[in-house]
Amino acid sequence: MALLTWILTNFWTLLLFLLVLLIGLRIAWRLRKYGATREEFSYILRRSPFYFVVLIFCFFAVSPFLIMFLHTFKADGDLYRRPQPFIFRQEPTIEHLDALFNNTAYLDFIRNSIVVGVAVVLITLVLSLPAAYALARLTGRWGERAGILMFLVYLLPPTLLFIPMFRIVVLLGLKDSPMSLIVVYPTFTVPFSMWLLQGFFKAVPPELEEAALVDGYNRVEAFLRVVLPLSLPGIISTVVFTFTLTLHEFIYGLVFIADTRQRTLSVGVPTELILGDVYFWQPLLAAALIIAIPVGLAYNLFLDSLVQGFTMGAVKG
Amino acid sequence: MSLVQISSLKKYFDTVHAVDGVDLEIEQGEFLVILGPSGCGKTTLMRMIAGLEKPTAGQISIGGADVTALPPRKRGVSMVFQSYALYPHMNVFNNIAFPLRAQRREKKYNKRSIREKVETTAGLLEIDMLLDRRPRQLSGGQRQRVAIARAMVTQPAVLLLDEPLSNLDAKLRANARDELKDFQRSSNITAVFVTHDQIEAMGLGDRIVVMSEGKIQQIGTPQQIYDDPANEFVATFLGSPSMNMLSSNHFKFGFRPEHFLPKTLNDNPENARIFHYYVKRVEYLGSDRLVYGYVQGRESELTLAKVPSNVRVSLDVESDYEFAVHNSDLKFFDARSGLRIAEQNLAEAL
Repeated sequence: MALLTWILTNFWTLLLFLLVLLIGLRIAWRLRKYGATREEFSYILRRSPFYFVVLIFCFFAVSPFLIMFLHTFKADGDLYRRPQPFIFRQEPTIEHLDALFNNTAYLDFIRNSIVVGVAVVLITLVLSLPAAYALARLTGRWGERAGILMFLVYLLPPTLLFIPMFRIVVLLGLKDSPMSLIVVYPTFTVPFSMWLLQGFFKAVPPELEEAALVDGYNRVEAFLRVVLPLSLPGIISTVVFTFTLTLHEFIYGLVFIADTRQRTLSVGVPTELILGDVYFWQPLLAAALIIAIPVGLAYNLFLDSLVQGFTMGAVKG
Repeated sequence: MSLVQISSLKKYFDTVHAVDGVDLEIEQGEFLVILGPSGCGKTTLMRMIAGLEKPTAGQISIGGADVTALPPRKRGVSMVFQSYALYPHMNVFNNIAFPLRAQRREKKYNKRSIREKVETTAGLLEIDMLLDRRPRQLSGGQRQRVAIARAMVTQPAVLLLDEPLSNLDAKLRANARDELKDFQRSSNITAVFVTHDQIEAMGLGDRIVVMSEGKIQQIGTPQQIYDDPANEFVATFLGSPSMNMLSSNHFKFGFRPEHFLPKTLNDNPENARIFHYYVKRVEYLGSDRLVYGYVQGRESELTLAKVPSNVRVSLDVESDYEFAVHNSDLKFFDARSGLRIAEQNLAEAL
């Protein structure tokens, strides 16, 4: 706790120190590698504006996370004081984190979101893997049109659909249960991930499958043993994408479930931590940050294949 | 009985007749080459033998059994693809073992016999030191060998090869051709080889099937096809430069540039046809001189002569010479159908 307090209060000094240290290390490393020649110094000088610009952009990209992180530990009195928001004037505190975990249903939200997300991802994969494969390989002219038609479904906004969907959910007896979301979310995740996967499947040369067919396998085996392993990066990024789609869905989650403990993160956090016009900023930002970090990491890992999937769908679809 | 029998096989894609009524018999142990220009239906024909394409009509039987409706895996064929289609996520060993593992359910091979088989086949093709590599790490020639090893490892009844040499550079190609032929001979496998390259076809084939527009134009040994073309298409498709074709009233006649030589070289002038030949241009190609010019009275039809360099006859540009073609080297074709017609009764009509 004392360490955390010290880190947070000296945040800016630490950041500056770290920066200087990094730049110093980089210069020292280059000098050690190439020797302290005049060219080396001029090289470092020439490159420094570039790194300076990169630094500015880095700061720009990171600052929302930075603000969320710093605010999590701010005392109420420190919150609205100017100049904001990077400096601590009062002792940092973890009382808001404590409140988030102990006085709200945050852990329930996380659990519900994970249950819904995993179930929806599984349903989506089961439905969209064969559909995407069929669209990528086994269709004539009509198949391609059907694919576009299915993608159009994705463009219908939930704001149009939530009332009829609510009737269906009530009829199924799933009101106030995360099951309702598991049933309804695939309506938009399936068309979308089908479209993504189709692009990845098209990138696998058909001859590879034909080779597997000639080598003694049937079409399903050829798909499982050749196409699937080769499009694995694409499938994983589809999983990540589908999961985040369910994670930030709001309307259905709000309408179908009134019971607080059954709600998901995207609904539960804002409804629990905003009362009327009172925003509980510190726990709100903490709740957002805690869930944003793993998602951000997952996106970073699969960013390349994700972009690839989108563009493949665009060019060849 | 022939190993593979194909009767009145047809494949239509919408309105395109890719393969239009093919009858073909392939004998056990022969090296059959299917030759034709691109788009002639040769690859479609092979894909139908493999079972990758469903025929519109017709029948295919392999080893006496009708396989027309069977999927590829039940036909006992294997195939080397033009792109080799090696599985990029497996190393060479697993690529070659892949067809063996497909027969796991019949318990034909266990782990040890798979290893043995893969190693023997790889040894035959001299790729046994590459078994741990990924396809990406191999050269074009090595990839081709891996593809052949994978196709051979199950000892298929028929080995189908779809232009497997076209991705190799020219230097490797002659070498690969020689090795492929040796390999086919020693393993006595029945091979069907599709190509658009006539040199490959002539060099490799025991028999050549010449195809055009979905139909078989001629089947025969390389020599038969070259010396005795069945129609105008076969005559002009084979040979480089291609056969000179001159039209007459009701027929066309052709002769190959290498048979069109200065009259003084002809040892048997009474059996030869003499032409007055105007030489327009001469290309020196090292082993030959390629002569461009016109036969007198047929100035609209460019006629070529290929004179070996060791023939020391001076050929001046823009001058007239007397060239001769041996009567037996003159081929006659019907002007309308393009079919070959008997020569003796028409030779007089010239």
